[in-house]
Amino acid sequence: MQLQILKRTRRISFQGAVAVFVSAILLSLFFSGVLLSLGGTPPLAGFTTLFQGGFGSRWALEDSVLKAIPIFLCSLGVAVAFRLKVWNIGAEGQYALGAIGATGVAIAFPDWPSWAVLPLMALSAACAGGIWGLIPALLRQKMHTNEIIVTLMFNYIAVYLLQYLVLGVWRDPNSHGFAVSATFSDAAIIGPLSGATSIHWGLVHCIVLGILLLLFFRYTRIGYEIRAAGENMNAARYAGIRVDFLVCLVIAISGGLAGWAGFVEVSATVNQLQPAMLVGYGYTAIVVAWLARLNPAGIAVASFLLAGLRVGVESLQLDLQVPADFGDILEGSILLMVLAAGLFLEYRIVRKGRT
Amino acid sequence: MNFDILIPLLAATVLSGTPVLYATLGEIITEKSGVLNLGVEGVMMVGAFSAFFVAAATGSPWLAFVAAGVVGMLAVSLHGVVCLWFQGNQVVSGLALTLLGSGLANYLGTPYVGTKAPGFSAVALPGLSRIPALGEIFFNHDPLVYLSYLLPPILWFFFHRTGIGLGLRAVGENPAAARAAGLNVQRLRWIGILVGGFFMGLGGACLSLAYTHLWTSSLSGGRGWIAVALVIFAFWRPGRAVFGAWLFGGVMALQLRLQASGAQVSSSLLLMLPYALTVIVLVFSSAWRKSDAAPAALGVNVEPGE
Amino acid sequence: MKLKRLIITLAALVLAIPAVSFAAKEVKVGFIYISPVGDAGYSYAHNEGRKALEQMEGVTTSFVEAVPEGPDSERVALNMARKGYDVIFGTSFGYMDPMLKVAKKFPKVVFLHCSGYKTAQNMGNYFGRIYQSRYLTGVVAGSMTTSNILGYVAAMPIPEVIRGINAFTLGAQSVNPKVQVRVVWTNTWYDPATEKEAAKSLLDVGADVLAQHQDSPGPQEAAEEAGVYSVGYNTNMQSFAPKAHLTSAVWNWAPYYTKAVKEVQDGTWKPESVWLGMETGVVDISPYGDMVPQAVRENVDNLKQQIMDGGLKIFTGPIFDQQGKERVAAGQVATDDQLLNMNWFVKGVTGTLK
Repeated sequence: MQLQILKRTRRISFQGAVAVFVSAILLSLFFSGVLLSLGGTPPLAGFTTLFQGGFGSRWALEDSVLKAIPIFLCSLGVAVAFRLKVWNIGAEGQYALGAIGATGVAIAFPDWPSWAVLPLMALSAACAGGIWGLIPALLRQKMHTNEIIVTLMFNYIAVYLLQYLVLGVWRDPNSHGFAVSATFSDAAIIGPLSGATSIHWGLVHCIVLGILLLLFFRYTRIGYEIRAAGENMNAARYAGIRVDFLVCLVIAISGGLAGWAGFVEVSATVNQLQPAMLVGYGYTAIVVAWLARLNPAGIAVASFLLAGLRVGVESLQLDLQVPADFGDILEGSILLMVLAAGLFLEYRIVRKGRT
Repeated sequence: MNFDILIPLLAATVLSGTPVLYATLGEIITEKSGVLNLGVEGVMMVGAFSAFFVAAATGSPWLAFVAAGVVGMLAVSLHGVVCLWFQGNQVVSGLALTLLGSGLANYLGTPYVGTKAPGFSAVALPGLSRIPALGEIFFNHDPLVYLSYLLPPILWFFFHRTGIGLGLRAVGENPAAARAAGLNVQRLRWIGILVGGFFMGLGGACLSLAYTHLWTSSLSGGRGWIAVALVIFAFWRPGRAVFGAWLFGGVMALQLRLQASGAQVSSSLLLMLPYALTVIVLVFSSAWRKSDAAPAALGVNVEPGE
Repeated sequence: MKLKRLIITLAALVLAIPAVSFAAKEVKVGFIYISPVGDAGYSYAHNEGRKALEQMEGVTTSFVEAVPEGPDSERVALNMARKGYDVIFGTSFGYMDPMLKVAKKFPKVVFLHCSGYKTAQNMGNYFGRIYQSRYLTGVVAGSMTTSNILGYVAAMPIPEVIRGINAFTLGAQSVNPKVQVRVVWTNTWYDPATEKEAAKSLLDVGADVLAQHQDSPGPQEAAEEAGVYSVGYNTNMQSFAPKAHLTSAVWNWAPYYTKAVKEVQDGTWKPESVWLGMETGVVDISPYGDMVPQAVRENVDNLKQQIMDGGLKIFTGPIFDQQGKERVAAGQVATDDQLLNMNWFVKGVTGTLK
């Protein structure tokens, strides 16, 4: 029997798309289940623990939402850049710069009230993250360097920059010389929504920024131009769209959002600058953006799911002693499967001779 | 800096550049065929782990070295399946491969963290190692370093004098024209991916068999990404990749020696150097040559059934 | 600061409700580690202590490894508390504030934090005076060197590490005044490739004994290959460098962990800050390599006895820093506060503090 791949003439039905996605995820679960049992863990018990730990209780859900907040903001940024086919994989570094920018303000103005210091922290974080993204974009447009590599190297540089600051000028004299900044004043901390929950106002930031971005793409001229240029950069250029400007703008927004994520995280959950806050959200954000096909609502769902996965893996460790790296495997294999499944969304496979 | 320090520094440069060199050459082969594989880091990790595993189990470093290459091929075949068969995005597939490969190596390697395995150690080449200065710098290393000296000329020959090598380049430049000329585009791209993966796996093996003989999680420490950067620095030429890899190794070795000799510079800033240098080098090489040295069809999937 | 701590401790004493003590109360103990337990290093040493607890009646244990400091550690501690763990040990400095937050939410759970300084009604902290072991290893290294240059591969310029380097240097100088110690920072705790490379860079500047404040045995390997001596850290690293390994500064947590958990079982546990010295057995040096001569062994054993008796205090003045400024006056002994905040190198150390 010979098979042939044909391009779909009609778009795949919604149910069809869901079926393709679900089967991709099931396949990767099967694959990681095999690994679990290789490691001596019964797969079913493993997945139950994973699910319980990530989504199975009110605590778990709260934890997952908390962890999803920075991932969502980073991923939103990544998606903006990817839409224009600018491969910004520097969200991790831009996130670090955002945290640095926010910390600078928090440390400089310890006596300011919340209404003054928090907006300034956000602004400073977004600018720091945005500029960290803008440099590779300018290099790409002016010097033709590859933005994938430059943004990636900028991640490493940002990590060491953060280390340099907390080991040097920002080192807290009151913490026995450990590599952390001073704890922020209460005014510089984003608090929880209410006393009954640990979910903080960062969630509201996510919702507002997400909606603003959606409106920007849908209703502004520049938003339209970005979408057009993303479809076909050369055609856009002929149509008189300033592609250079758009690339820079897009990556500045992208970096700004990642920077904002750094601000929310450093202010709401860490309360001080420390190297340990860089745990790879910027990389997870890329996975999320792609799983969600760059769609903001999808990003919200996917970042929540992946955050839950990360949280659940901790229970897996505690209860069944499965190594933490299992989370990476699961993430990587889901992404590969979903990528491969993308074929079925645009092509169909038929037996040769039939159409 | 006097001679007593300079020569060991250069020797360390060659040594720490070698794992990156293997990986860079692997990525060059892959990219020449028009496929971008950003999963080098992940492939190096599985290569490093399988080399360590096989060496610990069999006691034979050479067997382990080859095993790492084969496992590297297996790992990149995932990239091949996703990108060549299923038309997945090459950038994202590479990232997924990095996640999966590092995760897999760390996961399977957990019981082995902190254990030792047999590996290669330095063997002075008779005669050559006696040459003043040069002998110490180039000919007093482990066999994997010597092997890496042979690769660039071999690869040059492969790309310029063999049918497969020429076909690979044609496919990377213009798949449609290559197909019209009767070349099997898919098959050549598979060759590019698999041979490339073999070398990336070997790069990982250098880390766990020669550079150190210990296993640890995240052994590769970002060297795979450096390799991706060096491909551009090298303009996709194997010969230039050698200098790129050594330059990177040199900066790494230099910053540690600066500290050891008492330089009063922040260690965080010194550790930043290799990455900052990669950016600077990239800017200069790109500005100088633009990006026309890249295979024209790099990262572009070929529509199935065309 | 001190007064505050005293008040807290007193308040806790008053408030501590003595639990009804059965023969062996069921206790679930959780550990949070910064790195994988298989690393033969810091977390491995803690995990050996955990295993000792498993031998106790009524005690069950579990752990989560490779937990980053910051929000992740808070969640892990929270999870343990919710799942009914009675005692939670966190073994990295950065877990301090997260554990404190969780401790406030779960007043019945006992939290013990390693290497920090904040306490609460249900949270104590503990650490060991590993610098005493460092001093002894320094004496060994200073006796064995011929180039009078000792290399020290170190993780991060923080007081804990700086204190160790200083103690090592003072130990070496006590037997060999000409000795100098060269420091290379890697900014990593566990990265065998980088740490081995760092060790080699020290060999290139003439070091013939390598010491380390790292969790990987990378520097040991470098010493073995180059045919020079080495001093290990955390656990006995002899197996990684049989020909090079002189001795290691080692952790042995079992005595403290069993004592603390026993107290919790008996209901006698009180929150306190303890900094355990060599007399408790928590810090020690590992058996000497064959190459260490008898005279050196006797000298070091003698010094060890003096440390345990309290006769020898490591940081006794006069101590001068790198610039020659007097930091501890003659006849004075550095206070614990000075030690905990140490951010200067003693004279004889070559390296940057940035």
